[in-house]
Amino acid sequence: MFTKDHINDFAGGGVSRRTFLKGCAIAAATLGLSPDVVPKMVEAAMSPKRPPVVWLHFQECTGCSEALLRAARPDIATLILDLISLDYHETLMAAAGKQAEENLHNAITKNAGKFICVVEGGIPTKDSGIYCKIGGKTAMEILGDVAPKAKAIIAIGTCGAFGGVQAAKPNPTGAVGVQDLIKDRPIINIPGCPPNPENFLATVVQILTYGRPPELDELGRPKFAYGRKIHDHCERRPHFDEGRFVERFGDPGHKKGYCLYKVGCKGPVTYSNCSVERFCNIGVWPVGVGHGCIGCTEPGFWDTMTPIYKHLPGIYIPVGGGIREQAEEIGKVAVGGAAAVIAAHAAVGIGKKLFSIRCSTENKDEEK
Amino acid sequence: MIRKEPRLYYRVFVWSGTLRLFHWTLAFSTFILILTGIYIHYPPITTKWAEFKPLYIMATLRYWHFAAGYFFICALAVRFYLFFAGNQYERPTDFLPINKRNLKSLVYNIKFYLYLTDEHECRMGHTILAGTIYFVLFICGVVMGLTGLYLLYPETPTIAKIGHELFGTPQQARLIHYLLNWFFIFFILVHLYIAIWNDFNAPDAIISGAFSGSKMMPADLECPVEELEKIPFEK
Ligand code: HEM
Ligand code: SF4
Repeated sequence: MFTKDHINDFAGGGVSRRTFLKGCAIAAATLGLSPDVVPKMVEAAMSPKRPPVVWLHFQECTGCSEALLRAARPDIATLILDLISLDYHETLMAAAGKQAEENLHNAITKNAGKFICVVEGGIPTKDSGIYCKIGGKTAMEILGDVAPKAKAIIAIGTCGAFGGVQAAKPNPTGAVGVQDLIKDRPIINIPGCPPNPENFLATVVQILTYGRPPELDELGRPKFAYGRKIHDHCERRPHFDEGRFVERFGDPGHKKGYCLYKVGCKGPVTYSNCSVERFCNIGVWPVGVGHGCIGCTEPGFWDTMTPIYKHLPGIYIPVGGGIREQAEEIGKVAVGGAAAVIAAHAAVGIGKKLFSIRCSTENKDEEK
Repeated sequence: MIRKEPRLYYRVFVWSGTLRLFHWTLAFSTFILILTGIYIHYPPITTKWAEFKPLYIMATLRYWHFAAGYFFICALAVRFYLFFAGNQYERPTDFLPINKRNLKSLVYNIKFYLYLTDEHECRMGHTILAGTIYFVLFICGVVMGLTGLYLLYPETPTIAKIGHELFGTPQQARLIHYLLNWFFIFFILVHLYIAIWNDFNAPDAIISGAFSGSKMMPADLECPVEELEKIPFEK
């Protein structure tokens, strides 16, 4: 068990006791664990040797790091930064140039098999991966150096997990997610654009406390955070069941808080705990403030979840210079075409019959 | 003018009761699935009055969709069983263009539908064209069932695994599910037209056969007659 002194020691590192306990309680709640485990978490997190973390940045916008650092609950950012020893993070570290390269090298050789590797951003693979280079090395090479030595690999954000926006068609740089390159070991994916920092915190605390990653789904996402559809925890769901839909943004239904299904909400096919966890400590989330879910935690969401304000994606038809048609239009054209063909077919049949009857009567006339 | 068919016909029993049960279960469930599915896809405006009168309309129609979906899946299971255990006319070897006899019949068939010949080929089972399209429909039905189950139970581990391997994310499965919906509408349109057209142009009486299981066969037809003996007329 921990003592007050321990906590005070830890607090000396920049986190107050209250903040610290609160942080662990948040993590426990996010993981869906009982508050009883909080002391255990505190104990694990308090160990003098904080787990080293190497944070790699590839094709990304740093939005995931930003989301983490600018979390309105400042406790979380501080907590994470005090929980772990961030040995390498390009945005945050003071070092630059050669010194930075050395830091990375030292971090992965000294702590081989012990550090957590966090990957933010997609990895270009086309033309031997030349589209993302740091210090003369391609992203693929850096990942190849670092990842095998890590104790656990966390891909943060949809880019790191699934390739993200740069992997959207036609994917000019051949961008992929970490799990597409490293196949021999489980990757913990925390997708989202950006992901909720609390899910990252909870995953890290889980690894610290139990020494193993949380339970993952088909796509390597922790089930505690990505185990349920947004739709199944949405506060607008009663409106959905009742058939009350926003028809256009700003219409009376929108003002009354109706369901956003008809303006393209992807909640029914998106896995995340946004509606439960919410953002920025003030209880907001996209659907809560009147905009449909865009499905950012799903693989290939730039291709499969767009158009954002339509229910289903368009279909790429490689004729007429490549037009994108809404699925519905295709269906209507097919059925309309069938109706036209049927009408023509029937008309020919009837015409033929009339013609043959006339011929046969004419023949009879001639016989007479 | 009264035109008489100069032929004598036998009424022969072709379609087993199980097959007819399959047919009508599939027909009614598909009908409900399409109507409710289109509502799910694009619910029309009901808000003005739904605000005052609780209807629970989306939830109810989804419930009907799933209930009909189960009937649909059961019907497909029955048809699958008949592929192997059905009578001679219910097995794929009789109606898929996989041998010389069937290929010849297919060409004949197409000519008949294109008004290139007036001579109707009297076959006991499905025509090859119909059989092939039914087979495609069966495959589409299986895909419908699988994507439907994937959309319905995406959190069940086995279903999630199969669904993810076959279709990708639920959103991709939803797109496939929706696109094939139009294939079913298309099929129903053509199927009804062809059935009615055949009633005008061919003597088999296939519409009533969908209920009775029988077909009208010319008595002077050479080939199937000895086969006729083998088939008991049950009623
Ligand atoms: C001929 C067969 C079927 C047709 C024509 C059909 C049609 C549809 C359509 C048009 C949709 C709306 C798609 C969208 O825009 O999101 C839909 C949704 C759905 N269907 Fe089907 N369906 C069929 C069979 C099934 C079966 C066998 C099942 C499984 C039990 C099933 C389960 C579902 C589910 C779970 C949804 C999603 C409902 C939602 O998003 O709320 N369907 N179906
Ligand atoms: S707003 Fe979106 S997630 Fe919420 S009930 Fe409607 S469709 Fe589902």
